[in-house]
Amino acid sequence: MAMQIFEYNGSAVVAMVGKNCFAIASDRRLGVQLQTIATDFQRISKIHDRVFIGLSGLATDVQTLYQRLVFRHKLYQLREERDMKPETFASLVSAILYEKRFGPYLCQPVIAGLGEDDKPFICTMDSIGAKELAKDFVVSGTASESLYGACEAMYKPDMEAEELFETISQALLSSVDRDCLSGWGGHVYVVTPTEIKERILKGRMD
Amino acid sequence: MFLIGFLYLASQSVKKIIEINPYMLGTMAGGAADCQFWHRNLGIKCRLHELANKRRISVSGASKLLANMLYSYRGMGLSVGTMIAGWDETGPGLYYVDNEGGRLKGDRFSVGSGSPYAYGVLDSGYKFDMSVEEASELARRSIYHATFRDGASGGVASVYHVGPNGWTKLSGDDVGELHYHYYPVPPAIAEQVMEEAAAE
Repeated sequence: MAMQIFEYNGSAVVAMVGKNCFAIASDRRLGVQLQTIATDFQRISKIHDRVFIGLSGLATDVQTLYQRLVFRHKLYQLREERDMKPETFASLVSAILYEKRFGPYLCQPVIAGLGEDDKPFICTMDSIGAKELAKDFVVSGTASESLYGACEAMYKPDMEAEELFETISQALLSSVDRDCLSGWGGHVYVVTPTEIKERILKGRMD
Repeated sequence: MFLIGFLYLASQSVKKIIEINPYMLGTMAGGAADCQFWHRNLGIKCRLHELANKRRISVSGASKLLANMLYSYRGMGLSVGTMIAGWDETGPGLYYVDNEGGRLKGDRFSVGSGSPYAYGVLDSGYKFDMSVEEASELARRSIYHATFRDGASGGVASVYHVGPNGWTKLSGDDVGELHYHYYPVPPAIAEQVMEEAAAE
């Protein structure tokens, strides 16, 4: 089986918008082609209390890109004395990815954040920085086709935090069950203006 | 039981243990269509042998028939990795047969992309004189560990027993549930406190 580089480690990331809140979820598997190495791999990272980034694709680039982005945000915080807005952060990620246009980071980021007036913001990008904004949900990873289907079927606008958590969890678990390279548990963050709730999902471990 | 077309999971409930006749079983690994077809074909040949010779075919004979059939298609791209398990006059028989025409007799085998992981558990727990319950639990555990580590294995762990009166199905456990049976998640502290408070 000719293995594509984006399918080397396997991943699934999804973000959804709710009423003044957002949820971002990922699977937890780290594999080397078909072999599973770890079941607790961190794909979603907090940039600051109101901006999260989930990275799918090659695991080494996921880690390196995250480290670079945290560094750039810390510099921004020192210079501007405030946190980055999610729209600004998305533009930063896009620029950093395009810098490596002819030798790209093999990741597809999903960015989710709460902007001004607590308005939720989500977007995704391809590996060279093409931004795609959405009003409802964004997906990325080896399970992306299944995720599109599941989200389209289960999503409704203006869900509250608890209902959003249920919806995104069911969409994630049912999609990764159709993909050999992702799954082995789930990691969900639901962020409202007042709190961040992190939950681990019990999924099929096969 | 996974069936994959490239990396997409087609089904979680494929029957991978094929019932050739009431006292012989074949396992499926490799190409699903190839295994299903050739096992059915083997079943036909075994029945014809019974009718022509007025006695059941031996496991050795059945596996040889399959191996010879597959050898004649060597190099044409068939993908079959199978074990033939059965009971005949000489007692229990287990043979490994593959699409290259290889045929091996043995006490234990594991076949498929998850087989290295299953071998690890199988080899460390195997004893020739195990009881049926011990053997079935060892088999279930080996399959479960293979489904955990291998991306292309999963679904249901089926265990069959082959005895002097034929085969019986012992269990068919969903490996998603088996995981939490073998490795239960300890309840969170909040849950424990709530349980203790409710008990008082």
